[in-house]
Amino acid sequence: MSVKQPADQSAFILPDLGEGVHEAELIKWRVAPGDTVKEHQILAEMETDKALVEVPSPWSGKIRELHGKEGEILNVGNVLVSYDVGGKGAAKPAPAKSVEASGAGESKADGADEDAGTVVGTMSGELSVSSRFARRPEAEPAQSSRKALATPAVRRIARELGVDIDRVSATGRGGRVTASDVQAAASGAAVATAHAGNGVASMPAARPVAVERPAIDGEGTTERIPFRGVRRKIAQALDLSVKTAVHFTVVEEADVTALLAKRSEYARVLGRKLSLLPFAMFAVCRALVKHPELNAIVDDAGEAILRKGPVNLGCAVDTEHGLMVPVIRNAQTLGPVELADQVKSLADACRGRSIEREHLVGGTFTVSNVGSHGGMFATPIINYPEVAILGLGRSREKVLVKDGRFYAGSVLPMSLSCDHRVVDGAAGAAFLGTVVRLLESPEELLGG
Amino acid sequence: MPTKTVFKTEIEYVSILDEHGQYDPKLGDGLVPDEDLIRLYEHMTACRHLDEVAFKLQRSGRMGTYPQNMGQEATSLGAAYALEKTDWMVPCYRENAGLFWRGMPMEMVLLHWMGDERGNAIPRELFCTPLAIPIGTQMLHAAGLAWAAKYRDEKRIACTFFGDGATSEGDFHEAMNFSANLDLPVVFLCQNNFWAISVPGRIQCSAPTLAQRGLAYGMDCIQCDGNDLFAVVKVVREAARRAREENRPTFIEAVTYRLGDHTTADDARRYRDQAEVDLWKARDPLIRLRGFMKEKGLWNDSKEAELQEKAEREVAEAVQRAEGIETPPSTDVFDHTFAELDPQLTLQRATRRTTSIGQSPDAAAPAPAVDGH
Repeated sequence: MSVKQPADQSAFILPDLGEGVHEAELIKWRVAPGDTVKEHQILAEMETDKALVEVPSPWSGKIRELHGKEGEILNVGNVLVSYDVGGKGAAKPAPAKSVEASGAGESKADGADEDAGTVVGTMSGELSVSSRFARRPEAEPAQSSRKALATPAVRRIARELGVDIDRVSATGRGGRVTASDVQAAASGAAVATAHAGNGVASMPAARPVAVERPAIDGEGTTERIPFRGVRRKIAQALDLSVKTAVHFTVVEEADVTALLAKRSEYARVLGRKLSLLPFAMFAVCRALVKHPELNAIVDDAGEAILRKGPVNLGCAVDTEHGLMVPVIRNAQTLGPVELADQVKSLADACRGRSIEREHLVGGTFTVSNVGSHGGMFATPIINYPEVAILGLGRSREKVLVKDGRFYAGSVLPMSLSCDHRVVDGAAGAAFLGTVVRLLESPEELLGG
Repeated sequence: MPTKTVFKTEIEYVSILDEHGQYDPKLGDGLVPDEDLIRLYEHMTACRHLDEVAFKLQRSGRMGTYPQNMGQEATSLGAAYALEKTDWMVPCYRENAGLFWRGMPMEMVLLHWMGDERGNAIPRELFCTPLAIPIGTQMLHAAGLAWAAKYRDEKRIACTFFGDGATSEGDFHEAMNFSANLDLPVVFLCQNNFWAISVPGRIQCSAPTLAQRGLAYGMDCIQCDGNDLFAVVKVVREAARRAREENRPTFIEAVTYRLGDHTTADDARRYRDQAEVDLWKARDPLIRLRGFMKEKGLWNDSKEAELQEKAEREVAEAVQRAEGIETPPSTDVFDHTFAELDPQLTLQRATRRTTSIGQSPDAAAPAPAVDGH
C-alpha cells in the first residue's frame, strides 16, 4: 500500500518498503540536514522484517530535517525527511508519533479500501519466522473512532457475535483485529451485558500499561552496543515465549556410563568422533513418539494445540551472530549417526549464514546443548510455539550408588522446560523418565 | 526374455557466445545482422536502466512492488527477436526486454506495478498478453491462443515464458500435455533462474535438467544458455519454425540467473550465497554482448556513454508519463475483468459497498461519478 506524498515536495513520508510492511528500523542515515540530494539518491538504510533496504529520495531537493534516530523503529506514514521548499518556509510537518498502520496519510471515505486483503505476491510462507517476531503495535491509535483493520473472515465473526469491530482492541500484526480479539471482546461484552443489563457491547480498549523503566546510568560504559538486528530478533522471540508460555522446569540425571562405552565403540568402527548429543537426540525422538503431548505446538490465535506426527527436532546452535535453532525434519526416522551428520551440516550452515530458511522453521521440539560450555542444570526457554525444550548439561564422572554399592560412573544432567498450559507436571516428568531409561539402557536404545 | 531399450534420448545444450567471449562462428552465422545487434543491445541497456529506476521508485513509495529483470534480459529479448511480430507473446513478469522490443511502451510496465489497470490494456496489435503474476496461469493461455490460431489457420504461434518454479505447477503440466497431444503451435520457454523465490532448483526437480520435463509429453526439448542472446535466437527461431510449419510444440530451458531479488519485497541475501551471485555477475548478458560488439568494432566507450545517457532520458520520460497520468476513478477496479458485470458487482460498482465485509449497500450515499481519491 503506497502512501501519498505531499505535492509540494516538502516532506517525504516513509512508504511501505516491501509488501504490507508497516514499520522499519532506521539503521543508518546517509545524508545530513543541509545536503542537496538528487532524485533516487539514497537517504537512509532501513531494515524491515523482510529485508535490509536502501531508501532513495523521490525527488531532488535540499534536506531540512531528518526525522528519526538510528536504531529507532519508524512507522510507515510518518515523515522521514523534510525538504526546504523554495524559500517559502513551508509549514513544518508534524510527524505523527502513532498512526494507523495502514492507509496512513490518506483519509479515506471508503471503509472498504482499508480492508487490506491479500496482496498478490505476498510470500506468507516465507515470512513465517518474521511474523513470529512481528512487533506488536506500541500503542492504540489515538482516535477512538478509527476504522478497524481486519480480514473479511474476522469481520464475519464479529457480525455473527454482534461485536462492533471498530471498538475491538487489536493485537494482530500491524494493528489488525484478529479472530481471538473479537472473541475476547464478545465474551467481555457478554459479561458486561450480564452486569449492566443493557445490550450495548461497549468494550473499554485494553490499553497497554506503560512500563516504568529504571534510570540508565551510563557511567563506566566502555562500549555501547546497539540492541538490534539478529540480537533483537532473538530477544523478541524469547520475550514472546516467556510472556506467553507458562514455563516449568524439571531436572534429572541419567547414568550414561554404558552409553559412553557404546559411543566409543561406534566412534572406533566409524573412525570418527561422535558426541553424546546425537544419542540423546535419538532417545528424545523415541521418547516423543511415546509421549506425543510434548511433540506439539500451540496456536494461541486459533486456540488450539497442534500435536505433530513427525518429530521436527530443533537443535540450538551457538553462532557469532547469536543463537540459531535449525530444524531436523522427520528426526524420528534417523539414527544417531545420521542425526550427528545433520547436526553438523546444519550447524555449519548456520555459522556460515548459508542456512536455508526452511531449515529454521517448523520445529516441534528443541534440544539445547546448554552444557557445551559447562554448567549442569538450566531453565531453558521454550522455542515458542513449541511446548517443550530439553537442555543437556555436561556429562561428568561421579560416584553413584546402585543396590547399596558405590561405583564410579558418568552422568548426563538434563533440564526439561514445558509449557504448563499444555503439558502437566506428571506428563513432563514421565517423558523425562523415558529419556533417562533409554539413555541408561543402550541395548534398548540402539538394539544389540 | 532379454530386456531391450525402448526409449533413449539426449538433451542438447546450445551455446554460441559463451561467458569467456568465445564465439562459435558456424552456429552463429547469419543469425543476427550487425545493425540488429546494436539495436538489441540498446534495448537491453534501456531495460536494465528501467530496472534500476523502478526499484528505487518502489523504495520511495512511488510503486507498489517490482520484480527486477536484471541478468535475464537476453532470454526474452532473443525470443522476441526470433518471433514474428504477429506471434503471441505470453509473458510472466521478467520479460521487459522482449516486451519493449515488441513495441510495448515502457510506461505500461510501470503502470502495471503502480497498480494501474491501464498498464494491462496492451494494444491489440502488439500481440502480447498482460504480465501474469500468479505463477503458471499464462502457459494455459498460450495453449489456448495457439489452439485458436491453429483453428483459424492464422499461421500465428504462441510463445510463453515462465520460471523454473512454474514447472512444479499443475497448470504447467496440463498446458504441456494439451499442447503436445493436440499438436499446438506453442513454444514453452522456461527461464531457469535457479531460484523460485527462495526455493532452489535442486529441491524443485530431481532430474538433472528441466528440459527433460518435456520428454514425458513427447515434446522436443532443448536447453540453451539463456544469457547468450545468439543461442536464444537460434533455439527459439527453430522452435517457432517447427510450431508454425509442423504444429509441433517445443520446450526450451534457457539457463539464466536472476541477479536481483525476487521482488522488492524480498531480500535474496538471506538465502543465496554471494559467491554464487558473483559467479553469475560475470555471466551478465550485457557485459557479454558489449564485449562481443567491441571486438567486432561495432561499439566503443563513447557510444556506450551516449547510450547510457539516452537510456536514462528514455526511462525518466517513461516515469514522467506513468506518474503524470490522471488518477483513475475508483470504479476502475470493476472495469477490466468482466465484459458484463453481474447484478452483485453492478451494485458494488454503483455504491462501492460490499456485503461481504458487512457493509450495507443501501446505506451508502450515491457515489460520485469520478473520485480523484
